[in-house]
Amino acid sequence: MNKKREIILHTAIIFSFVMVVLRLADLMIINHKRLAERAKQQHVKVENVPARRGIIFDRLGREIALNLERESLYGDPESLNLTNEDIKKLALVVEKEPRVILSKIPEGGRFAWIERKLGPEAAEKIRALDIKGLGLLPEAKRYYPNGDLASHILGFVGIDNQALEGTELQYDKYLKTAGGKIFLGRDASGRTLSSGVNTEAKGNNVVLTIDEVLQHITEKELDRAMVKWRAAAASAIVMDPFTGEILALANRPSYDPNRPGSASNSERRNRAITDCYEPGSTFKIVIGAGSLEEKIVRPNSLFDVSRGGIEAGGKTIRDVHKYGVLSFQEVIQKSSNVGSIMVGMKLGKERIYQYAKLLGFGEKTGIDLPGEVSGWMVPPEKWSGTSIGAIPIGQEVAVTPLQVLRAYAAIANGGFLVRPHVVSEVISPDGQALVSFRNREKKRVLSARTAELFKDILKSVVEEGGTGESASVNGNEVAGKTGTAQMTNPLTKRYSKEKYVSSFVGFVPAEDPKLAIIVVVYEPKGQIYGGVVAAPVFRDIADKALSYLDVPREDIPQRNALLVMQ
Amino acid sequence: MMREKPFAILSFAIKPLLICLIVIGVFSLVYLRSGFLRLEYGLSEIEQKKMHYLKERKMLLAEKTSLLSFAKVEGDFNGKEGFILPDRLKVVHLSRQKTYASYKASLEKKQLAEP
Repeated sequence: MNKKREIILHTAIIFSFVMVVLRLADLMIINHKRLAERAKQQHVKVENVPARRGIIFDRLGREIALNLERESLYGDPESLNLTNEDIKKLALVVEKEPRVILSKIPEGGRFAWIERKLGPEAAEKIRALDIKGLGLLPEAKRYYPNGDLASHILGFVGIDNQALEGTELQYDKYLKTAGGKIFLGRDASGRTLSSGVNTEAKGNNVVLTIDEVLQHITEKELDRAMVKWRAAAASAIVMDPFTGEILALANRPSYDPNRPGSASNSERRNRAITDCYEPGSTFKIVIGAGSLEEKIVRPNSLFDVSRGGIEAGGKTIRDVHKYGVLSFQEVIQKSSNVGSIMVGMKLGKERIYQYAKLLGFGEKTGIDLPGEVSGWMVPPEKWSGTSIGAIPIGQEVAVTPLQVLRAYAAIANGGFLVRPHVVSEVISPDGQALVSFRNREKKRVLSARTAELFKDILKSVVEEGGTGESASVNGNEVAGKTGTAQMTNPLTKRYSKEKYVSSFVGFVPAEDPKLAIIVVVYEPKGQIYGGVVAAPVFRDIADKALSYLDVPREDIPQRNALLVMQ
Repeated sequence: MMREKPFAILSFAIKPLLICLIVIGVFSLVYLRSGFLRLEYGLSEIEQKKMHYLKERKMLLAEKTSLLSFAKVEGDFNGKEGFILPDRLKVVHLSRQKTYASYKASLEKKQLAEP
């Protein structure tokens, strides 16, 4: 009997073990892959690592483009069952019409954005509504704390933080970053375990050459000029003439990069590098510097301009005022068209073209901003009969304000053509320098002697009797040149009698230049001359900028302080 | 027969001891594992708090940047000319004189040691 029981017991135990082994084989061998996958899905949560664009700083480390944490509202159309009451409440929170909200929810599918990048208060209100089928996802919103300040340099990004313009676009490869995925453990109730890693991917930061204060000064003065002259547009650039660092670059009209969608194409245009204009007398630098370099003229060489006009290709070009005999210095100082054409004829068309090219006209400056145009400089073989009377005085050529500024910077720095740039370096999120754009190459285009001689001539432009007298800054010598050019009427293809471009370009202090500045005002009303319209804007920008930069006045001697070392 | 006795006693004691050891080991493992998980939950909560505060910090940084912008500061002091950018006529620039002044008579060793 006992033996029989023993056999039954043994059989039951063995059978149980076999069953367990079979089940284990089922779990661990036959269905292993499927079950392991299910277990992984239940225990591991995959999350996207949020990617944040790098910060953009000005030259002193002030943030001018950063990221804000926002939440975006999405709906799951399959599980979403919105009542009229829900839609009304939702519409109130997101400040949209109910029909706009409904139009964003498709019939099928599992995901649809309803409103992107909501503020923290709105997100909290939506969370409180507790509507099934609605959810919030964290997203970064690009934020420009200074509004429209430096908007044409900064550019802007799209709704998905994709770069669309300006530095954001040019340096996108450094600023953007890929977020990737992160695997988090979680329990049955959905609580996640510590990831133990950084849950945010940051792009590299970009340091601009722009100074926020100089930029503000420039924009403010440009705004004043726009109001005063009821101008259609205006541009101004402030540059370090020795390094090519752009310290400020502003255009009017402008826009707020926080709301690029509400700006027109005209407002978004970076005129300083994308718009060409006929420079007028500021282009006289080409014949001026060229003839000095070729030793064709000396500052005291005389030109008889007493007739007040000169004929070139059947067209007579006149001076604004009649002069008698002018020295070469006076030709530039008084901006005599007749005298400049005489100098141009002495220089010859090949050399005019050669020096225009040497000074960077007709080609891109290479500035690190998108959309730059090369301008237009006709080769001598294609010149018409009137060209020799037009090109020396800045007609029949198209330039950008930046090209003109770069050419004058070559006079300021002793004859070198610099490469303008707006970014000085790229740094990692923890502050390590990755790429430096300082000490960019520069090319000698004029001898130091020519630069020095032409600088003296430019100084006389701003002195009494010159066309740019109103550009003079209290306490410091200015060297510069005025420009007044007629605009072309696009319908008649002839020069307009009402529309002008007034400009002034120069540098200060003349003997030890700290700033090279150009101001271009398009279609001013009431006055047209560069010396009246643009030169005072130059003066106001220069005066405030020198004050900000603590550049001493030259008319007050520095006081020597006796410092005894302890 | 006499030699086998101590081993028999030992084997009698070892078995329950080993069983106890296994039981204690299993419980310790479970305890450690649960403690580890508890720690991970704690860490996860702290990380979430950290993320929240980082978010707050970003908001405050943006606000600070707006408030400290030159345009804002200048706007606040509008009309008070010269407060932001000084009047250049009133600024005196001092230049350091490189030559040393004569020594002051003193018995201090420090001063005598100066070049």
